[in-house]
Amino acid sequence: MRLELGWSDVDEVTAAPATRLAGKRLEVDLDGLRELLSADPRLTRIRLDLAHPGERCRIARVFDVVAPRAKTDGGEDFPGVLGSVARAGHGRTLALGGVAVVATDQQTDNVGTLAVIDMAGPNAALSAFGRTHNLVISAWPSPSTERSDYLAAVRLAALKTAVHLAGTAREAEPNRVDVFELPPSPRVPPELAHLPRVAYVFQIHSHQRPTGLDEGILYGDPVRRMLPTIVHPNEVLDGAVLRGFMGRSVTTWAIQNHPMIRALYAQHGRTLWFAGVVVTVAQATEPERVRSAFLTAGLVAHALGADGAVLTKIGGGAPHVDMAQAAAHCEALGVKTTAVVEDMSTDGSAEGMLLFDFPGVDALVNVGSSQEPIILPAMERVVGADDIASKLLGETRATYGGLCGAIEQVGATRVMAEVR
Amino acid sequence: MTPVAVMVGANRIVSAAGIIHPLGSADLSPEDEKALRRRIVEQALQALRTEVAKPTVFGRE
Amino acid sequence: MAAGTLRVVCYLNQFFGQLGGEEKAGVGPQVVDGAVGAARAVQQALGDAGTVVATVICGDNYAAEQAERATAELVSLVAAARPDLLVAGPAFLAGRYGVACGALCVAAQAELKIATVTGMHAENPGVELYRRQVYVVQTGAEATRMLPEVQRLVALGLKLARGEAIGAPAAHGYFARGVTRNIVAGANAADRAVAMLLDKLAGRAFTTEVPRPAFPPVAAPRLVKTLAGATIALVTDGGLVPRGNPDGIEALNATRYGAYSIEGKSSLDAAQYDNPHRGYDTTWVKQDPHRLVPVDVARELEQSGAIGKLHETIYSTVGVATTLAQSARMGREIAEKLRAAGVDAVILTST
Repeated sequence: MRLELGWSDVDEVTAAPATRLAGKRLEVDLDGLRELLSADPRLTRIRLDLAHPGERCRIARVFDVVAPRAKTDGGEDFPGVLGSVARAGHGRTLALGGVAVVATDQQTDNVGTLAVIDMAGPNAALSAFGRTHNLVISAWPSPSTERSDYLAAVRLAALKTAVHLAGTAREAEPNRVDVFELPPSPRVPPELAHLPRVAYVFQIHSHQRPTGLDEGILYGDPVRRMLPTIVHPNEVLDGAVLRGFMGRSVTTWAIQNHPMIRALYAQHGRTLWFAGVVVTVAQATEPERVRSAFLTAGLVAHALGADGAVLTKIGGGAPHVDMAQAAAHCEALGVKTTAVVEDMSTDGSAEGMLLFDFPGVDALVNVGSSQEPIILPAMERVVGADDIASKLLGETRATYGGLCGAIEQVGATRVMAEVR
Repeated sequence: MTPVAVMVGANRIVSAAGIIHPLGSADLSPEDEKALRRRIVEQALQALRTEVAKPTVFGRE
Repeated sequence: MAAGTLRVVCYLNQFFGQLGGEEKAGVGPQVVDGAVGAARAVQQALGDAGTVVATVICGDNYAAEQAERATAELVSLVAAARPDLLVAGPAFLAGRYGVACGALCVAAQAELKIATVTGMHAENPGVELYRRQVYVVQTGAEATRMLPEVQRLVALGLKLARGEAIGAPAAHGYFARGVTRNIVAGANAADRAVAMLLDKLAGRAFTTEVPRPAFPPVAAPRLVKTLAGATIALVTDGGLVPRGNPDGIEALNATRYGAYSIEGKSSLDAAQYDNPHRGYDTTWVKQDPHRLVPVDVARELEQSGAIGKLHETIYSTVGVATTLAQSARMGREIAEKLRAAGVDAVILTST
C-alpha cells in the first residue's frame, strides 16, 4: 500500500469569519465550528478556545489530543468512528503541521486523572503540544448523558474538528509530502533479502477497564477480547487506530504520528526490512495474557518471519507485564526483542523500575517516570478548566505523567529515566 | 500478574480468576461462582501444604 | 586560607593514618591537625581548591565493634573542624574500613549537613550498604593506583560541596545509587529502541536503559501443622475497606493498611464495605467482596474442619503504585502481628 501525507505547515491560527488556510495562517470560524459540533445531542454548551505557543497559558482537563488530518479522493476519515468503515492507509491525506485539536473532559470530578499542557515556561519544551497552536474543545454533557457516551461524543467532536481544519488545505500545494510505501511482507526484492526483518508489536489497549460500546479503537471496533492481529503500518498512520477513553501517557496524536512506525519506515530498505505491525490488547487474566503472548509471538515469528521485534505498551503495570510476556515468547522463538517501558518506580528507586524479569527480555528503552514530580509555574490564563482555574494559575506541583505529551509510551518523547 | 509475584520472590503463587475479580466471576451464576472460589481457595490450601524451594506458580485446572 | 577555599576533613583508618597496622586496629577516634598519611594525597588532589584542616582517624576494630559510639565520637571530631566536605577513605577492599567510611558519611550528611564522599572497591561490603545514601567512588582493590582514584574522589567531593549538578555514575566514577531521575535524551524513545534492536540483532553491545531487578530470594517456610490444625488468615492488597475507609487507606501510593474484624461473620455484607483502589475496576468486588476476600468459603472450610481456624482479623491495603519500601514495611508489620496472634499461614489475594 502507498500513502501520501501532504503537509501544510501553519505558524499562525486566528479566529475569523470563515475557516480557510491563507498561506501559513489558519483562520477559523469558531462560531460556525461550534454550531457544527453542537449537533450532537449528547453534548451541550460547547466552548472553543485558541492557545498559542509562548502564551502564558495552561490548558487543563486534557482528555486527548488529535492531529488535523483529512482524506482526499473519497477516502474515509477515521473509519469506523467518524467515517464509514473503509480501508485507511492509501491515497492522499492532508495534514496540518503546527496545529493540534485538544479535547477536554468537563464531566469528571477526578481532575487528578486528567493532564495539563503549558504553552510557555520550562514545561512547554517537554511536550509537542507546548509548541503547537491548540484549538481547545470544552463541551459539557447533556443531562442524562452517561460517562461512556459523553467521552465518545467529546472524542467525536475532536475528530470532526481535526478533519474540518485539515480540509482547509484541500486547495493548497503542500509544503512537503511524506510517502509511506510498504509491499506485502513476503515480497522482498532479492537484493534486500539480507536485511534483518523487524516487526512492531503495538499494544493498542489494555483490558484493565473494559471498553464502552462506542469506544472505537481499531476501525471503530472496541476491541473487546481482541486476539492479536496484523495491520499494515499505513493503517495506523491514517486514522484506523485511535486511543481509547483511558490513556496513560498516550495520545491519539502520537498514534497518528506514530514514531515507531516512522522510525522503522526511515530504516526500511537500508538497515532493516519492516516486516509489519501486530496489534494486541493487554489482557486482564493470566491465561488470556499467556494466550495473547504466544499468538503474538506466532504472528511475529511464523507469519511475518521477523528476526526482531520492537514492542510498546499502553497503560500501567499489567500492560507492562503483558508486553514483557509477549516479548519473552518472541525470544523463545528466536526473535530478538527490544521493549519500550515506563519507569514503574513510585519513589525514584531503581529497584522499582521494572516489574518483570524474563529470559531474553534484556534490551529495554524507557520513556521516563510519570510519577516524578514537576513544577507547574504560574500562568496568566487557564483554558479548559473554569472550576479549578484559580488554583492552576498559581505555581503548583504535578507529575511528568500529568503533563500531556511529556511522556508518550509509543516512543514519541525524549524524556528518559536515567539510573544514577 | 503472577510474573511480578515470581520476580519479587513470593514462594507460593496461585493463579486466580482475573484482576477485577480474583476469586469470582461476573459471568457465572452465584452457585458456580462460589464453587470457583472454593476451588481456588482449596488450591491455595494445597499450595500451603506443598514444600517449595523457589517461587512456584500453582495453576488452576 | 584564600576566600572560596573549601575546608576539608579526611577520615582514615589506623593504617592509612600512619598509627600502625592490625595491632593498632583497636584505637579509638582521634584527630590530627592538617593532612597526615593518605590525607596528603587528598590535599595534593585538592590543590588550591581546598585545605585539609584536620585528619580524623579511628582503628578498624573499634569502628566495627563499637559502631554507634565510634560514629558519634567521629562526627563530633569532624564537626569541631567545621568542614565543608568530608572525604572518607578510600577504603579499597578493606571491609571494616569501608563500612566505617560509609557510616560516618551518612551520619555527617545527616547531622552536620555537609557534603561527603568516599571510595572503595566494588566488592567492599560498604558499597552495597551505603551506595544509596552517600556517593561511593569506585577504586581498585589496593592503594597502588591511589592517586588518580583520590583525584576522582576529590573531584566529585568538590562538586558536591559546591552544590553543582552531578552527572551519571559513569561520568564521575561512582557506584549507581539506585535512584532514577528524568532527563531529556538526545533522541526519542522509538529511535533509541530501533537502534538498540539493530545492535542486538547484529550482536553488537548495547546498554539497556533499565537494569534487571534483583530481589533476594526468600526462604519458603514450611507449614508444620496439618491444615486441620492450622489458623489461616486472609490478607489482601485489593483495597477492601469498611464503608467510609476509616483508616484513610490511600487510593494510590498507600502507606497505610487496615485491620478489620470478621469475628462472628460467616460472610461479608457488601453494604458495609467499600474499595478505594485506583488500579482496577472495583465494580465487581464492591458488588461482592468475597470475590476479593473469600470469607464465605473460608468460614465453610473452618466449619467443616478442613482448616483449624479462620483468623478473626483481615488485613487490607491498596496495592497500586505502592513503593517497594512501603510494601516491605507493611508486609513485615502485618506478618509480625499475625505471628504474634498465633496464625500459621496466610492466603493473600492480590489484584
